[in-house]
Amino acid sequence: MAVRILVDSTADIPPQRARELGIEVAPLTVEFGDESFRDGVDLDGPGFYRRLANSPKTPTTSTPPPALFEERYRKLVGEGATGILAMHIGSALSATYSVSRTAADEVTAATGVPIEVIDSKQVSAGFGLPAEIVAEEARNGASLAQVKAHAEQLLDRIHLVAVLDTLTYLQRGGRIGKSSALLGALLNIKPLLEVKEGEVLPLDKPRTRARAQGRIGEIIGALGPLEAVAIAQSDDAVGQQLQQIVRGFWSGAIETFSLGPVVGTHAGPGAGAVVAITRE
Amino acid sequence: MSSNSRSGSFLARFSRQRPKHISVFNGQDFKKAVMAGHAWLEQHREAINALNVFPVPDGDTGTNMSLTMRAATKEIADSNDTAAFVIAERLSRGALMGARGNSGVILSQILRGISQSLEQKTTFNATDFANALQVAAKLAYRAVIKPVEGTILTVIRESAEAAQQSAARGSDMAALLGDTVAAARAAVARTPDLLPTLKQAGVVDAGGQGLTTILEGMWRYTRGESVQLSHREQTEEHAEIRRGNVEIEEEFGYEVVFLLHGENLDMESIRDTITSMGGVSTVVAGDSKLLKVHTHTPRPGQILDYGVGLGSLQDINIENLQEQSLRYAAEGARERGASASANGATMTTGGGTGAAVATPPARPASERVVGGVGTVAVAAGEGWVKVFESLGVAAIVPGGQTMNPSTQELLAAVEACPATKVILLPNNGNVILSARQVPELTSKEVVVIPSDSLTQGVSALLAYNFEAAFEVNRQAMEEAIKRVHTAEITRAVRTVQLDGINVTEGDVIGLVNGRLVTAGTDLDTVVHDALSRMQTEQYEIVTVYYGADVTGQAANDMASRIKEWFPEQEIEVIHGGQPYYAYIISAE
Repeated sequence: MAVRILVDSTADIPPQRARELGIEVAPLTVEFGDESFRDGVDLDGPGFYRRLANSPKTPTTSTPPPALFEERYRKLVGEGATGILAMHIGSALSATYSVSRTAADEVTAATGVPIEVIDSKQVSAGFGLPAEIVAEEARNGASLAQVKAHAEQLLDRIHLVAVLDTLTYLQRGGRIGKSSALLGALLNIKPLLEVKEGEVLPLDKPRTRARAQGRIGEIIGALGPLEAVAIAQSDDAVGQQLQQIVRGFWSGAIETFSLGPVVGTHAGPGAGAVVAITRE
Repeated sequence: MSSNSRSGSFLARFSRQRPKHISVFNGQDFKKAVMAGHAWLEQHREAINALNVFPVPDGDTGTNMSLTMRAATKEIADSNDTAAFVIAERLSRGALMGARGNSGVILSQILRGISQSLEQKTTFNATDFANALQVAAKLAYRAVIKPVEGTILTVIRESAEAAQQSAARGSDMAALLGDTVAAARAAVARTPDLLPTLKQAGVVDAGGQGLTTILEGMWRYTRGESVQLSHREQTEEHAEIRRGNVEIEEEFGYEVVFLLHGENLDMESIRDTITSMGGVSTVVAGDSKLLKVHTHTPRPGQILDYGVGLGSLQDINIENLQEQSLRYAAEGARERGASASANGATMTTGGGTGAAVATPPARPASERVVGGVGTVAVAAGEGWVKVFESLGVAAIVPGGQTMNPSTQELLAAVEACPATKVILLPNNGNVILSARQVPELTSKEVVVIPSDSLTQGVSALLAYNFEAAFEVNRQAMEEAIKRVHTAEITRAVRTVQLDGINVTEGDVIGLVNGRLVTAGTDLDTVVHDALSRMQTEQYEIVTVYYGADVTGQAANDMASRIKEWFPEQEIEVIHGGQPYYAYIISAE
């Protein structure tokens, strides 16, 4: 049998594509008060945003326990995996990576199946897109060492630029690095952010959505020759706008990711991102 | 604050003395003459204030020049020094620090020119003083980037020329001052011919009038007719500096700044040598006799040794940057207290930190100190102060339209800012020149972004990128201020006809980018006219900052009407709380 890929749910890979590519998805959890939902299993992106708009409770997110990862790794071993590559949300943003590593060590010790765990230093399609690319290669027989090396190369060349409708959610969750004060204006701004080396960093402070999206086009368009492009959307309207922007500099396929409940808790409604992998 | 309340701290009394024919001035003569000039200016301050071109309540020239002279004479009032150059030097320093508004800065340069020219002279005669006025005129012109005739510049230049001629005729000081005043008056009278806006407004130039008044006071002193001011308690308005957050970037080693006096100093080769010794971001400026050196180095001793080999060193300032940034970082961490967990926290919030997530920390990273750059902004109105604070400024100097902060107040804010690099936002056309004096007065690296309005200040800060280099930010901010257009709505403080617009005192008037464009009795009509003149339909977002005398409800109603007029634009309403101006509206 083959090498298998596992990601946590913040990769925002649509369930259908995950199934087709044989990607195992381990869900984080989002809580509205006492109600708890598994990311992407009990609650999908659109459902989450509806709830966010109507719930008086502010959602919170949590990492699954090591037991969940152990169960998933053992399941993949049971399905005949000869090696497993796990890719996770940046370790500066979540404890998921370290929890998964602990579980992986246990499972490898017990079963002898090698498991490589990568801290993607990214979020959402920022590691979801590389995961899809290497999952395809794993299905075609690539070795664990090969998929791991390629995943790391892709993560070196990935760029994620996001626009938020408001900074409130990101600040509430404390997921923005130094300088968030410089963004926390009384003025209505549409913060433009990048995820770089595991940190969420402010790029620009445009006052309007149109200018923010224009800036995404400028920034990604200026990266040079691209290999793959994806968008991550909180809703279809945002997705369509981003599609239009991407069409300004890219004529290839555009993978679409749907921002799930966990990422959505921190990005808030109306968020969107363009992800691009530059050519070597 | 009205300018009248400030004059209350002075009592004027007239004193008649016998006319004296003075051929030589010592320090005390000069002191008394200048004090008399200042007193005469104070007497005429309101008349000079009334010479404003625009019928708007803004930084008054008479007040600015009076306050500048007050700061200058404060330095000599208690001095018994008889050396003229000592008095001149003190005046010059006091004026430089106390300079307010464009006219104040130019006045400070005039006093500086006099001081430079009187260097080492314990007494001076009419010829010396005529020469001093020549240098004064030269420095005054140099102070402004684009000198305009029909202003105080014309008046100092023509007065200085008259003084030369008078000295050549063998005048004593009294006669020389008499001739100088006559020329100054004539120059002032001609200012409307040189500057059309003066003619339209039916006024002479206020700064030129102010300078003439000071010269008149000095002349009257030589004739024994002086007015003296007795200083009661000097209630200088000190800038109240608000501390905000600041970033400190990782720096290494020491920052070394010193003045180097010598002969035939070669800037290029000195800069190169210091760089080759490991000096980083080295700036060497000045001339062949006096240089200011500013560099960063792990070994300050080596660079100072090199300097000593070239000449004599002065004002040596060495700062341990590493220690400084560690200290600020520690202070920041202490201030943050328990909320410090925000950075590097994990997404695991289901546990004990759930409550912290539900209630956002007041200003998550605002107290965090992580870079070498701080911003200082001039602003008035509580709403504006909040807007600037929310944009991360380290300090706010109160002032603006009606109260221009002095160079000293700006300098104090820059010095108090816990950063080695400071971006200064004057946010008012009449503060830019005083702000431009600050970089020369501090060992910090200061960049002045010439923002001439609060709205430009906001745009500049929005363009600021904490990750970018200082220079990149400077460029981005300077570009950003050009992209915003501003309409100001206020009431006319006098009746005037300007640029073909008839304004009656009490009318609502609209200015666009500082130019009067419309006037009338109906607020809505004036706002609509001003926004149309601004070509608002071509921009994306309109921000309405409402003033202290406007209610939130009235501002929202105004915003609804603006939305009706400009349905394509996004409209945002912000409490500015500015005095006098009902609305300041930006389009970008």
